[in-house]
Amino acid sequence: MRRLFFVVPILLVAVGLAWAQGGMKKKKPLPYEFGGVTINNFSQQEGMPPVEFDHWVHRQYYTCRLCHVDIGFGMTAGSTKIRSTDNMKGYFCGTCHNGKMEHGGKKIFDSCAKGYSREEYNRCIKCHTLERSAAKENEFYQFSKKMPGDRFGNGVNWEIAEEKGLIKPIDYLEGVSSKKANMKVTSDFAIKSKVEGMPDIIFSHKKHTVWNGCALCHPDIFIGVKKGTSRYSMVELFEGKYCGVCHDKVAFPQTDCQRCHTKQTQG
Amino acid sequence: MKRIMKLDGRLKLVILAGCISLFFAQHPAYSEEVWRADFDAACAQSNEAMALSTPELKKLIEQCDRLQKIIETQEETVRKVFLKRLQMCRNLYQFVLEAKMQEQKPK
Repeated sequence: MRRLFFVVPILLVAVGLAWAQGGMKKKKPLPYEFGGVTINNFSQQEGMPPVEFDHWVHRQYYTCRLCHVDIGFGMTAGSTKIRSTDNMKGYFCGTCHNGKMEHGGKKIFDSCAKGYSREEYNRCIKCHTLERSAAKENEFYQFSKKMPGDRFGNGVNWEIAEEKGLIKPIDYLEGVSSKKANMKVTSDFAIKSKVEGMPDIIFSHKKHTVWNGCALCHPDIFIGVKKGTSRYSMVELFEGKYCGVCHDKVAFPQTDCQRCHTKQTQG
Repeated sequence: MKRIMKLDGRLKLVILAGCISLFFAQHPAYSEEVWRADFDAACAQSNEAMALSTPELKKLIEQCDRLQKIIETQEETVRKVFLKRLQMCRNLYQFVLEAKMQEQKPK
Protein backbone atom coordinates (compact mmCIF):
# COMPACT_ATOMS: atom_id res chain seq x y z
CA MET A 1 0.00 0.00 0.00
CA ARG A 2 2.83 2.33 0.95
CA ARG A 3 4.68 1.45 -2.31
CA LEU A 4 1.52 2.27 -4.26
CA PHE A 5 1.47 5.67 -2.65
CA PHE A 6 4.81 6.45 -4.33
CA VAL A 7 4.31 4.60 -7.62
CA VAL A 8 0.95 6.18 -8.59
CA PRO A 9 2.12 9.85 -8.44
CA ILE A 10 5.32 8.95 -10.35
CA LEU A 11 3.27 7.23 -13.04
CA LEU A 12 0.92 10.21 -13.24
CA VAL A 13 3.85 12.62 -13.67
CA ALA A 14 5.42 10.40 -16.36
CA VAL A 15 2.15 10.14 -18.30
CA GLY A 16 1.67 13.89 -17.98
CA LEU A 17 5.14 14.55 -19.38
CA ALA A 18 4.60 12.16 -22.28
CA TRP A 19 1.28 13.88 -23.02
CA ALA A 20 2.92 17.29 -22.99
CA GLN A 21 5.68 16.15 -25.36
CA GLY A 22 3.37 15.42 -28.24
CA GLY A 23 0.88 12.96 -26.93
CA MET A 24 -1.83 15.21 -28.33
CA LYS A 25 -2.80 14.79 -31.97
CA LYS A 26 -1.41 17.54 -34.19
CA LYS A 27 -4.08 19.90 -35.50
CA LYS A 28 -4.60 19.60 -39.24
CA PRO A 29 -4.12 23.04 -40.83
CA LEU A 30 -6.99 24.61 -42.73
CA PRO A 31 -6.48 25.05 -46.50
CA TYR A 32 -5.42 28.71 -46.22
CA GLU A 33 -3.12 27.92 -43.28
CA PHE A 34 -1.30 25.07 -45.04
CA GLY A 35 2.27 26.07 -45.83
CA GLY A 36 2.20 28.91 -43.33
CA VAL A 37 5.46 29.59 -41.49
CA THR A 38 5.93 31.63 -38.34
CA ILE A 39 9.25 33.48 -38.29
CA ASN A 40 10.16 34.76 -34.88
CA ASN A 41 13.93 34.89 -34.45
CA PHE A 42 14.15 38.55 -33.52
CA SER A 43 10.70 40.13 -34.07
CA GLN A 44 9.36 39.90 -30.52
CA GLN A 45 12.69 41.00 -29.06
CA GLU A 46 12.26 44.16 -31.13
CA GLY A 47 8.68 44.66 -29.99
CA MET A 48 7.05 43.45 -33.20
CA PRO A 49 4.70 40.50 -33.64
CA PRO A 50 6.26 37.48 -35.43
CA VAL A 51 6.13 37.26 -39.22
CA GLU A 52 3.39 34.99 -40.57
CA PHE A 53 4.65 33.91 -43.97
CA ASP A 54 2.21 32.33 -46.41
CA HIS A 55 3.76 30.08 -49.03
CA TRP A 56 0.62 30.10 -51.21
CA VAL A 57 0.93 33.85 -51.83
CA HIS A 58 4.46 33.51 -53.11
CA ARG A 59 4.47 30.15 -54.88
CA GLN A 60 1.92 31.32 -57.45
CA TYR A 61 4.55 33.78 -58.73
CA TYR A 62 7.96 32.31 -57.96
CA THR A 63 9.63 28.88 -58.03
CA CYS A 64 10.83 27.31 -54.77
CA ARG A 65 14.37 27.44 -56.17
CA LEU A 66 14.35 31.20 -56.69
CA CYS A 67 13.70 31.88 -53.00
CA HIS A 68 15.45 28.92 -51.40
CA VAL A 69 18.58 28.94 -53.59
CA ASP A 70 19.04 32.35 -55.23
CA ILE A 71 17.70 34.47 -52.38
CA GLY A 72 19.00 32.13 -49.71
CA PHE A 73 16.01 31.28 -47.51
CA GLY A 74 16.57 28.12 -45.45
CA MET A 75 14.32 25.09 -45.73
CA THR A 76 13.22 25.04 -42.09
CA ALA A 77 11.36 27.74 -40.22
CA GLY A 78 13.67 30.15 -38.44
CA SER A 79 16.89 28.65 -39.85
CA THR A 80 17.75 31.73 -41.94
CA LYS A 81 17.75 34.09 -38.96
CA ILE A 82 16.65 37.07 -41.04
CA ARG A 83 17.19 40.48 -39.48
CA SER A 84 15.37 43.65 -40.48
CA THR A 85 18.75 45.14 -41.45
CA ASP A 86 19.24 42.28 -43.96
CA ASN A 87 15.91 43.20 -45.56
CA MET A 88 16.76 46.89 -45.56
CA LYS A 89 20.03 46.12 -47.38
CA GLY A 90 18.02 44.39 -50.11
CA TYR A 91 18.51 40.76 -49.15
CA PHE A 92 16.02 38.01 -48.19
CA CYS A 93 12.49 39.59 -48.12
CA GLY A 94 14.07 42.89 -49.15
CA THR A 95 15.21 41.39 -52.45
CA CYS A 96 11.69 42.00 -53.80
CA HIS A 97 10.01 43.91 -50.97
CA ASN A 98 12.01 47.06 -51.52
CA GLY A 99 9.34 49.53 -52.59
CA LYS A 100 10.88 49.66 -56.07
CA MET A 101 10.38 46.28 -57.68
CA GLU A 102 7.14 45.95 -59.60
CA HIS A 103 4.82 43.00 -59.98
CA GLY A 104 1.69 43.02 -62.12
CA GLY A 105 2.02 46.77 -62.63
CA LYS A 106 2.15 47.43 -58.88
CA LYS A 107 5.12 48.30 -56.70
CA ILE A 108 5.92 45.56 -54.16
CA PHE A 109 5.72 47.09 -50.70
CA ASP A 110 8.92 47.85 -48.80
CA SER A 111 9.75 45.28 -46.11
CA CYS A 112 11.44 46.92 -43.13
CA ALA A 113 12.40 50.40 -41.97
CA LYS A 114 14.35 51.94 -39.10
CA GLY A 115 11.41 54.14 -38.16
CA TYR A 116 7.78 54.33 -39.18
CA SER A 117 4.77 56.56 -38.80
CA ARG A 118 1.32 55.47 -37.60
CA GLU A 119 0.22 55.17 -41.26
CA GLU A 120 3.29 53.19 -42.20
CA TYR A 121 2.57 50.71 -39.41
CA ASN A 122 -0.14 49.26 -41.67
CA ARG A 123 2.67 48.16 -43.94
CA CYS A 124 4.51 46.44 -41.05
CA ILE A 125 1.47 44.42 -40.05
CA LYS A 126 1.15 42.98 -43.55
CA CYS A 127 3.86 40.54 -42.43
CA HIS A 128 4.14 41.04 -38.67
CA THR A 129 0.64 39.87 -37.89
CA LEU A 130 -0.81 39.03 -34.51
CA GLU A 131 -3.52 36.87 -36.02
CA ARG A 132 -4.60 35.75 -39.46
CA SER A 133 -6.91 38.27 -41.03
CA ALA A 134 -10.26 37.44 -42.59
CA ALA A 135 -9.26 39.49 -45.65
CA LYS A 136 -6.25 37.23 -46.24
CA GLU A 137 -8.42 34.15 -45.83
CA ASN A 138 -10.89 35.55 -48.36
CA GLU A 139 -8.01 36.37 -50.72
CA PHE A 140 -6.93 32.73 -50.55
CA TYR A 141 -10.41 31.40 -51.35
CA GLN A 142 -10.74 33.83 -54.27
CA PHE A 143 -7.41 32.58 -55.61
CA SER A 144 -8.04 28.87 -55.01
CA LYS A 145 -11.45 29.05 -56.77
CA LYS A 146 -9.60 29.62 -60.06
CA MET A 147 -7.12 26.80 -59.49
CA PRO A 148 -7.45 23.04 -60.09
CA GLY A 149 -8.53 21.40 -56.87
CA ASP A 150 -6.76 18.84 -54.74
CA ARG A 151 -7.90 16.64 -51.89
CA PHE A 152 -5.25 17.60 -49.36
CA GLY A 153 -2.92 20.43 -48.37
CA ASN A 154 -4.35 23.79 -49.33
CA GLY A 155 -6.68 22.19 -51.82
CA VAL A 156 -4.78 23.48 -54.86
CA ASN A 157 -3.11 21.13 -57.32
CA TRP A 158 -0.09 23.31 -58.05
CA GLU A 159 1.38 20.83 -60.50
CA ILE A 160 -1.69 20.91 -62.78
CA ALA A 161 -2.00 24.68 -62.29
CA GLU A 162 1.54 25.04 -63.65
CA GLU A 163 0.94 22.56 -66.49
CA LYS A 164 -2.21 24.43 -67.57
CA GLY A 165 -0.40 27.75 -67.46
CA LEU A 166 -2.67 29.11 -64.72
CA ILE A 167 0.45 30.03 -62.80
CA LYS A 168 3.80 30.89 -64.38
CA PRO A 169 6.36 30.88 -61.58
CA ILE A 170 9.39 33.07 -62.24
CA ASP A 171 12.74 31.32 -61.85
CA TYR A 172 15.12 34.18 -62.59
CA LEU A 173 15.64 37.59 -61.01
CA GLU A 174 17.95 40.06 -62.71
CA GLY A 175 20.86 40.98 -60.46
CA VAL A 176 20.11 38.11 -58.08
CA SER A 177 20.07 34.83 -60.02
CA SER A 178 23.03 33.44 -61.94
CA LYS A 179 22.32 32.84 -65.63
CA LYS A 180 22.05 29.11 -66.13
CA ALA A 181 21.92 26.78 -69.06
CA ASN A 182 18.74 24.81 -69.72
CA MET A 183 18.55 21.78 -67.51
CA LYS A 184 19.07 18.31 -68.89
CA VAL A 185 16.40 16.33 -67.11
CA THR A 186 17.09 12.74 -66.10
CA SER A 187 14.39 10.16 -66.64
CA ASP A 188 11.84 9.00 -64.07
CA PHE A 189 12.69 6.01 -61.90
CA ALA A 190 10.88 3.62 -59.61
CA ILE A 191 11.40 3.32 -55.86
CA LYS A 192 10.33 -0.06 -54.55
CA SER A 193 7.54 -0.01 -52.01
CA LYS A 194 8.15 -1.90 -48.78
CA VAL A 195 4.51 -2.70 -48.13
CA GLU A 196 2.94 -5.58 -50.01
CA GLY A 197 0.15 -4.45 -52.30
CA MET A 198 1.27 -0.82 -52.25
CA PRO A 199 2.33 0.29 -55.76
CA ASP A 200 5.95 1.39 -56.20
CA ILE A 201 6.78 5.09 -56.31
CA ILE A 202 7.51 6.64 -59.68
CA PHE A 203 9.81 9.52 -58.94
CA SER A 204 9.84 12.23 -61.56
CA HIS A 205 12.94 14.39 -61.68
CA LYS A 206 11.21 16.51 -64.32
CA LYS A 207 8.32 17.47 -62.03
CA HIS A 208 10.68 18.35 -59.20
CA THR A 209 13.39 20.21 -61.09
CA VAL A 210 10.86 22.60 -62.65
CA TRP A 211 10.32 24.08 -59.19
CA ASN A 212 13.53 23.20 -57.38
CA GLY A 213 16.52 22.85 -59.70
CA CYS A 214 19.19 20.36 -58.53
CA ALA A 215 21.06 22.08 -55.69
CA LEU A 216 18.02 22.47 -53.45
CA CYS A 217 17.68 18.68 -52.98
CA HIS A 218 21.19 17.36 -53.64
CA PRO A 219 22.99 16.64 -51.46
CA ASP A 220 21.36 18.45 -48.52
CA ILE A 221 18.10 16.48 -48.56
CA PHE A 222 19.00 13.44 -50.63
CA ILE A 223 22.59 12.51 -49.92
CA GLY A 224 22.59 9.05 -51.51
CA VAL A 225 24.79 9.03 -54.57
CA LYS A 226 23.90 5.72 -56.16
CA LYS A 227 20.31 4.89 -57.11
CA GLY A 228 18.81 2.28 -54.79
CA THR A 229 21.47 2.50 -52.07
CA SER A 230 19.55 4.82 -49.74
CA ARG A 231 16.67 3.34 -47.76
CA TYR A 232 13.79 5.60 -46.89
CA SER A 233 11.05 4.71 -44.44
CA MET A 234 7.65 6.35 -44.16
CA VAL A 235 8.39 6.97 -40.47
CA GLU A 236 11.40 9.10 -41.43
CA LEU A 237 9.40 10.87 -44.10
CA PHE A 238 6.66 11.75 -41.62
CA GLU A 239 9.37 12.98 -39.24
CA GLY A 240 10.22 15.59 -41.88
CA LYS A 241 13.22 13.94 -43.50
CA TYR A 242 13.80 13.41 -47.25
CA CYS A 243 10.48 13.98 -49.11
CA GLY A 244 9.05 15.18 -45.79
CA VAL A 245 11.18 18.33 -45.92
CA CYS A 246 8.61 19.78 -48.35
CA HIS A 247 5.72 17.34 -48.48
CA ASP A 248 3.38 17.81 -45.49
CA LYS A 249 4.67 21.31 -44.89
CA VAL A 250 4.27 23.15 -48.19
CA ALA A 251 3.93 20.60 -51.00
CA PHE A 252 1.00 18.15 -50.93
CA PRO A 253 0.91 15.97 -47.79
CA GLN A 254 2.28 12.45 -47.71
CA THR A 255 -1.10 11.13 -46.63
CA ASP A 256 -2.09 11.51 -50.30
CA CYS A 257 -0.52 8.09 -51.07
CA GLN A 258 -1.68 7.88 -54.68
CA ARG A 259 0.24 10.97 -55.73
CA CYS A 260 3.57 9.13 -55.32
CA HIS A 261 2.76 5.42 -55.31
CA THR A 262 1.70 5.44 -58.92
CA LYS A 263 3.36 2.45 -60.58
CA GLN A 264 0.81 0.21 -62.25
CA THR A 265 0.56 -3.15 -60.54
CA GLN A 266 0.12 -6.31 -62.57
CA GLY A 267 -3.00 -8.41 -62.45
CA MET B 1 59.74 80.20 -61.35
CA LYS B 2 61.35 77.99 -58.72
CA ARG B 3 58.32 78.63 -56.45
CA ILE B 4 55.95 77.66 -59.21
CA MET B 5 57.96 74.46 -59.75
CA LYS B 6 57.74 73.75 -55.99
CA LEU B 7 54.00 74.30 -56.03
CA ASP B 8 53.72 72.12 -59.05
CA GLY B 9 55.52 69.39 -57.15
CA ARG B 10 53.07 69.74 -54.25
CA LEU B 11 50.18 69.71 -56.68
CA LYS B 12 51.51 66.50 -58.17
CA LEU B 13 51.66 64.99 -54.72
CA VAL B 14 48.10 66.08 -53.95
CA ILE B 15 46.86 64.64 -57.25
CA LEU B 16 48.73 61.39 -56.58
CA ALA B 17 47.30 61.14 -53.05
CA GLY B 18 43.83 61.85 -54.43
CA CYS B 19 44.20 59.12 -57.03
CA ILE B 20 45.39 56.60 -54.43
CA SER B 21 42.51 57.39 -52.05
CA LEU B 22 40.03 57.24 -54.95
CA PHE B 23 41.42 53.84 -55.92
CA PHE B 24 41.01 52.50 -52.38
CA ALA B 25 37.56 54.05 -52.05
CA GLN B 26 36.43 52.31 -55.22
CA HIS B 27 38.28 49.10 -54.55
CA PRO B 28 35.59 47.24 -52.52
CA ALA B 29 32.89 48.01 -55.09
CA TYR B 30 35.19 46.93 -57.88
CA SER B 31 36.19 43.74 -56.17
CA GLU B 32 32.57 42.94 -55.33
CA GLU B 33 31.71 43.20 -59.00
CA VAL B 34 34.58 40.88 -59.81
CA TRP B 35 33.72 38.21 -57.24
CA ARG B 36 30.01 38.39 -58.15
CA ALA B 37 30.93 37.66 -61.77
CA ASP B 38 33.13 34.78 -60.60
CA PHE B 39 30.33 33.54 -58.36
CA ASP B 40 27.82 33.61 -61.23
CA ALA B 41 30.28 31.78 -63.46
CA ALA B 42 30.92 29.11 -60.81
CA CYS B 43 27.27 28.48 -59.99
CA ALA B 44 25.88 28.87 -63.51
CA GLN B 45 26.70 25.28 -64.31
CA SER B 46 24.78 23.71 -61.44
CA ASN B 47 21.89 22.90 -63.80
CA GLU B 48 24.12 20.81 -66.01
CA ALA B 49 26.30 19.32 -63.29
CA MET B 50 25.44 15.78 -64.37
CA ALA B 51 26.79 16.46 -67.87
CA LEU B 52 30.15 17.83 -66.65
CA SER B 53 33.35 15.79 -66.81
CA THR B 54 35.41 14.90 -63.72
CA PRO B 55 38.12 17.54 -64.46
CA GLU B 56 35.44 20.18 -65.06
CA LEU B 57 33.78 19.37 -61.74
CA LYS B 58 37.12 19.46 -59.91
CA LYS B 59 37.89 22.85 -61.45
CA LEU B 60 34.51 24.24 -60.36
CA ILE B 61 35.01 22.95 -56.80
CA GLU B 62 38.42 24.68 -56.66
CA GLN B 63 36.79 27.86 -57.98
CA CYS B 64 34.17 27.65 -55.22
CA ASP B 65 36.87 27.20 -52.57
CA ARG B 66 38.73 30.26 -53.82
CA LEU B 67 35.51 32.29 -53.82
CA GLN B 68 34.69 31.20 -50.29
CA LYS B 69 37.80 32.96 -48.98
CA ILE B 70 36.81 36.19 -50.72
CA ILE B 71 33.16 36.07 -49.59
CA GLU B 72 34.28 35.45 -46.00
CA THR B 73 35.81 38.93 -46.01
CA GLN B 74 32.54 40.64 -47.03
CA GLU B 75 30.05 42.32 -44.69
CA GLU B 76 27.71 40.18 -42.54
CA THR B 77 24.59 39.96 -44.74
CA VAL B 78 26.50 39.39 -47.98
CA ARG B 79 28.47 36.69 -46.18
CA LYS B 80 25.31 35.03 -44.88
CA VAL B 81 23.59 34.96 -48.28
CA PHE B 82 26.47 34.15 -50.58
CA LEU B 83 28.27 31.61 -48.41
CA LYS B 84 25.06 29.60 -48.28
CA ARG B 85 24.52 29.89 -52.02
CA LEU B 86 28.13 28.99 -52.72
CA GLN B 87 27.97 26.02 -50.38
CA MET B 88 24.93 24.69 -52.25
CA CYS B 89 26.76 24.88 -55.60
CA ARG B 90 29.92 23.37 -54.22
CA ASN B 91 28.09 20.55 -52.48
CA LEU B 92 26.21 19.70 -55.67
CA TYR B 93 29.43 19.55 -57.72
CA GLN B 94 31.07 17.42 -55.02
CA PHE B 95 28.00 15.15 -54.94
CA VAL B 96 28.04 14.64 -58.72
CA LEU B 97 31.81 14.13 -58.69
CA GLU B 98 31.51 11.40 -56.06
CA ALA B 99 28.70 9.76 -58.06
CA LYS B 100 30.86 9.75 -61.17
CA MET B 101 33.87 8.37 -59.32
CA GLN B 102 31.75 5.58 -57.87
CA GLU B 103 30.49 4.73 -61.34
CA GLN B 104 34.05 4.54 -62.64
CA LYS B 105 35.13 2.14 -59.87
CA PRO B 106 35.63 -1.42 -61.19
CA LYS B 107 32.85 -3.71 -59.94
